[in-house]
Parts: sequence; structure tokens; C-alpha cells
Amino acid sequence: MPGKIRKRSPLKVPEQPYIALGLEGSANKLGAGIIKHSPDGSTTVMSNVRHTYITPPGEGFLPRDTAQHHREWILTVINDALSKAGISLHDVHCICYTKGPGMGAPLTSVALVARTLSLLYSKPLVGVNHCVGHIEMGRQITGAKNPVVLYVSGGNTQVIAYSQQCYRIFGETLDIAVGNCLDRFARVINLSNDPSPGYNIEQEAKKGKRLLTLPYTTKGMDVSLSGILTSVETYTTDKRFRPQGSSEGEENADIITPQDLCFSLQETVFAMLVEITERAMAHIGSKEVLIVGGVGCNERLQQMMSIMAKERGGQVFATDDRFCIDNGIMIAQAGLLSYRMGFGTPLSKSTCTQRFRTDEVHVAWRA
Amino acid sequence: MVVNATQRLLETSTLISQGAEAKIYKGQLHPSATLKNSSLKDDPDAIPVLFKYRFHKQYRHPTLDTSLTKARVQGEARAILRCLRAGVKVPGIRMVDAPEGVLGIEWIDGKSVRFLLGGGAEGEEEIEEVDDAVADEDEDSEQEDFLRDYGVTPDQVMKLIGTEIAKMHKADVVHGDLTTSNMMLRHPLKAGGSAEMVLIDFGLAYVSTLVEDKAVDLYVLERAFSSTHPSSESLFAGVLNAYAIKMGKDWKAISNRLDEVRLRGRKRSMLG
Repeated sequence: MPGKIRKRSPLKVPEQPYIALGLEGSANKLGAGIIKHSPDGSTTVMSNVRHTYITPPGEGFLPRDTAQHHREWILTVINDALSKAGISLHDVHCICYTKGPGMGAPLTSVALVARTLSLLYSKPLVGVNHCVGHIEMGRQITGAKNPVVLYVSGGNTQVIAYSQQCYRIFGETLDIAVGNCLDRFARVINLSNDPSPGYNIEQEAKKGKRLLTLPYTTKGMDVSLSGILTSVETYTTDKRFRPQGSSEGEENADIITPQDLCFSLQETVFAMLVEITERAMAHIGSKEVLIVGGVGCNERLQQMMSIMAKERGGQVFATDDRFCIDNGIMIAQAGLLSYRMGFGTPLSKSTCTQRFRTDEVHVAWRA
Repeated sequence: MVVNATQRLLETSTLISQGAEAKIYKGQLHPSATLKNSSLKDDPDAIPVLFKYRFHKQYRHPTLDTSLTKARVQGEARAILRCLRAGVKVPGIRMVDAPEGVLGIEWIDGKSVRFLLGGGAEGEEEIEEVDDAVADEDEDSEQEDFLRDYGVTPDQVMKLIGTEIAKMHKADVVHGDLTTSNMMLRHPLKAGGSAEMVLIDFGLAYVSTLVEDKAVDLYVLERAFSSTHPSSESLFAGVLNAYAIKMGKDWKAISNRLDEVRLRGRKRSMLG
């Protein structure tokens, strides 16, 4: 390799402050956020409001009901965001909404609101890729320059690295997403969906002691998770399984508790994720890792990742639940970056799509 | 603490690099013999050996780590042996210590294909607003010089890659992690000679007769090509051509499956 190639960022320093409203509703979280880019190069989060649709234990969220929730709450959420930021919609430069990927019905109900606001206040619309939103917000908050990104959430599991104006997917799941795997297992053992199934799995896993054998399926830089879910579900029909946990006098007996299963599931799945991330780091020679997405706020995953990074002399960047879990501010951030590069979505093109890969986006704002 | 023979062997070796899951050392199988007999020390015939040490991964649960490490060292050794028997160009095996996680293989003097094709995001840095644009370095010509030194053209390299993979698949070995970093060109011994392509890193390899597994193996390589060498995607067609020729009648089934595999993956546009 020749020495370090320094590239010039195509993003101009703004000559005036720019403010963007971001609307997100691709899954069960509804969010509105307002971000400001100042001429001195700084970025301010003016407000970041979220409302989550929580279903009873044992149930997932269905598209129809989730869309219904979003329709009921979106005006409250937007008003909240505006009043917290202390601005009116007239001060906003552009309205950013999630174009995809995500669930169809929730996406369209939020996009409808975005379109309406855009017409009412004559503000340009900017359609944003949800995954790129996560990455840009993670970079902004942590200050990571050119990290390998592990994007883990309920609908996505990808290892991404930037190259030539595109976020390229190095590895991804071949079947279900890691959040989906954890959430569905939470449903099997009847954990609460409040605040999120993944959070409750994390708490249960802390009490687990026994590591049960589960498949370990990394394929190059890809992973497969559906077999692990089946396998961990099968343990709940094992005759050693005690749904209520271990009772008195059974501490050393050969039993399996839900806590053990949560522990084993996390250890196995996260080890696989850390491994593929490490593989990508070794492959492209990067020393920084950024974890984004809802599963990214799992502290065990962050801990494992930072041990791995330390072993390689690298560094981990992670954010907390305000920015990890789906939110409006990340849509505003990514949208404003592309707006400043002159990108806009005309009304006739302001559609949504359930399938929108991270590598389809032209990342004009990076060198 | 008792230090066993394998660990002592690593201590006498020099750390070359740290890969995805292992540390790579360069050493000799009988370092003590070389040290005692000082006349041998600078002996050019003292053949170097590469040690691949899968060290304990702190992030992984110890039980999981131990069983994975052992299984992978054994698996790698078995896959390499199988390839050797089938005449695939792979490094020879020098020693195996599965519980310790150490595999000793032949040292190959050369460079990785990825390096020779000049791929990757390595060493690139972004800065905001610099007054003068930094002149693009003439990277292409530099890479060409390297390739000339190895006596091959990029097209020939692609052909070599395709042929070796086909030989490996004919022996029912599936590599599991085909990337351009895992292929090396052995430096030609005499000037004017042409380089030999060697497949390395069989850490994820396994034996399979399934068309599916072979197609996925090729797909992994295709993805690695497009992500590390974005501008050289057309070169991959050269790999497939050589592969098809070597595979003969088996190619049809794999080709069809490869088309199917390409359509998989999440969130792909379903148009066309």
C-alpha cells in the first residue's frame, strides 16, 4: 500500500445554519428529531422524541396495528419535538423521512405526514435510507472517522464499510436479523416487550450460568441465525427445562433455566457477530468499529466488541439507547447531509420501499 | 507455569501479523538445533515455517472458544491435506497442535492477490475543507510494476484463481472464506518466471459435495471482489471463465445455483 491517501471532503462548510426535521417510523418506534448544522461546523441535536408501540408479552407487532399507532401519535410526537427545540416548522430547511427499508404500512403512514407538511409549509422533502441514517448518526455522535460498522437491529444485521461513496456490505445475515432472533425467543419464553424484548433478554442473561451448545454458523463474513433460534427453542421442550427457573435445592442439578438459554443465546450469537466484524476489520485493515442499531445498546455486545478491538489495538464506538434505537434525529442527520449536497426528493418520487439496501445509496457527502 | 514445546516454539518465532482470528508467526521447526550449531544460523537452507496461532479470544465464552479453536485447527489441517492430495496449490503442513491452537505450514514467499490488485480502504483518510486538492497518487502504475515483477497480468491472475478454485471444488473442499486476501502469488524463483497461485487460510473450510456449498463459495468471492476492488468487477468474469473450463460438465449446475444464490440476501430490490 502506498502511504496514507488524504481525501478532501466534498461537504462544504455551511454559510448559514441549517435545520432539518427527521421523521422515522419504519418499525414499532415512531420518532421525530430536529438537528442543526452550524456554520462553525458543529452539529446540535435540538430535540429527539420517540414513542414506541409496545405489544403484550408473547406477541410481536403487526404492520397494520403499528401503522395505526403511528397515525395516532405522530402529530403529538412532532409537536413535542418542535416545542422542545423551540422552533416552528417555518424555521426548518427540509423535511426528511424514512424511505425504507422497513414495514410497508408504518412507512407509508409516516411518509404521508412528511408529504403533507412539505406541501403545507413548502419545504423540500428528503427521502432517507434507514441504515445510512443509523451510520451517519453513529459517526456524528461518536466522532468515528472511517469505522467498520456493525449494524444490528430487529430487521437488519450487516457489517458495513465505506468505500468510494458507498457503504458497502461486507457481511450480513443470510436469513433472519439478530434482533428478530432475540425478540422471537423472548416471545417463546414469554418475556415482556417493555421497554424492549432485547433489553429483557439481556437482563435475564446476566442471571444465566450454563452455556448450552448451540450451532455456531459463520460463513465467511456472513452469519445464519434461523437455525440457532430453532435450536434454542427446542431446549424449551427438553425435559430438563424449568420455565420458572431453578427452585430450592436444584442449584446443582442438571436443569435448564430460561436464564441459561438467554445467556447461551447471547454468548453464541454475539460471538458470531464479533467474529465477522473482526474478519471485516482484518480484511480492510481498519482499527475502528462502530456499533449501531437497536441491538447495539446491548452492553454485553459492546463489551465483547471492545475486548476484541483491544486485542487488535483498535477502538469501539457505541452510542446509548437514544441514538442506537430507531429515532428521528438520525433521519434528520442523514437527510440534512444529502440536502446540503443538493439532493432532494420531488413529491412525485416521495415513495416508500420495503427493500432498500444500504449499498444502493450514493454517499455524496463523503470523499 | 509450565511452558510446553509448542509455546516455546512460538516464543522463538517472530510475529508477522494478526489476521482475523489468528496471529501469524515466522519461525523454524527446530530452532534449538539452529541456535546450537551457529554455523547453521545463517544457513539459507534453514527453511522458515509459518505458524498460525489461534490465541484465546477473550470476548468469547471459554468453553465455546476451546471447542471452536480445536475444531478449526483440525478442520483446517484436514482440508489442506485433502487439497494437497488432489494437487491443489496450497501450503504444505509442517505441524499440528489442535488443543494449543497452533498449525505450522509451509512459508510462502510472495504477496496476496488483494495487495497486487491494490484493493481496500486501507490508509484512506478523510479531512474536511483543505485548500488545495491533494493530487491523486498514480496507484495503478505501481500495481502494474508489482505484477510485472511476478511475471503475470491481472487477467492471468484471474485465470489462476478460477483454475485453483475449480481444482479445490473438484476435491469437494469448500473454502468458506474466499477473498483476495486469502490468495497468494508465490514470487517466481528466477527472473522471467511466472508466479504460482496458492490458496491459503482454510480456517473455515469443510468438505461437501453439494452444488449449493460450492456456489455459495463462489458467491462469497464475488462479494469480496466487489467490496474490495470496486473498479475491477469485470475481472471476476475472468475467474468464472477459468473455473467453468476446469469444472467441465459440473459447471452447468453450479452456474445455475450461483444465479439463485445471487438473488438471496435481504432487502434486495425485487425488480427484474
